[in-house]
Amino acid sequence: MSLSLIEGSLLVFVIVCAIGTALLKNTLAAVIAFAAYSLGISIIWLVLQAPDVGLTEAAVGAGIMTILFLIALANTVNRDTDRLFESIRWRTVAFVAAFVLVIGATVPSLPAIGDPTAPVVGGEVTQYYLSNAYKETQVKNAVTAVLAAYRGFDTLGEAVVVFSAGVVALSVLRREVFT
Amino acid sequence: MTALALQLELLTTHYNYYAVMLLLGIGLYTLVESPNLLKKVIGMNIFQTGIFLFFVTLAYRTGGNPPIVTDGGGPYVSPLPHVLILTAIVVGVSLTAVALALIVRIYSEYGTLDEERLEELYYD
Repeated sequence: MSLSLIEGSLLVFVIVCAIGTALLKNTLAAVIAFAAYSLGISIIWLVLQAPDVGLTEAAVGAGIMTILFLIALANTVNRDTDRLFESIRWRTVAFVAAFVLVIGATVPSLPAIGDPTAPVVGGEVTQYYLSNAYKETQVKNAVTAVLAAYRGFDTLGEAVVVFSAGVVALSVLRREVFT
Repeated sequence: MTALALQLELLTTHYNYYAVMLLLGIGLYTLVESPNLLKKVIGMNIFQTGIFLFFVTLAYRTGGNPPIVTDGGGPYVSPLPHVLILTAIVVGVSLTAVALALIVRIYSEYGTLDEERLEELYYD
């Protein structure tokens, strides 16, 4: 597909928000810029026809994540800063640019965006899920079918990760309950 | 075709992958460069979303509908990368929660979140 106006402006918006997050010196300002970034990216998921990912990103990425950052900020320190932006360190920029160029060298070998014959979209696995998910699981949403049925153990593992994160957070903070 | 024209043509068909590159770069820069531990965690999250964008872009097909299968609907985008990214988002939040808990604890022990100051305090 060619770049639509809405997707182009969303991509510019998230990249500007990301640069703002990276350079804002005040931590609270950076957290707010990151929340705007998450919201922008959740709309990009909708444009890319991934409503499940978009909803999760809006609820979890923009919602819960921001709350976690704000709670952490309330329990630590947010110094008044003399300047709005941090100064850019060019040595690190050069290192990151080298990394980005190495990643960028792989871009020409990727299939074009939206190509129906690309390995992921046209591949056997995708076609299997799309044609059999409803028959085998009685769930119309193929994402839910794969998440809860075909890759159910994966989701169980995810639940284990969330549980361990809760246990670790409690033990690191030396508390017995979240209050 | 010259190299520049080739690059421009790639930009019109592969634009999301270039956004992925930029987001990975910005995330890595924040992760490496910011002296504040909390901002390092934000950088890690930006790096993660860059990878999510890569996966969801791979799942996209032109004119595709969301993978909610109905009679006569379609073509659909691929559901599998969406599932993987859903799992990755939740795991990313767990990771952030643990990192922030560690940060709160570090602050209560050392009274600072500045990387260099922490190093001094640790070796004293």
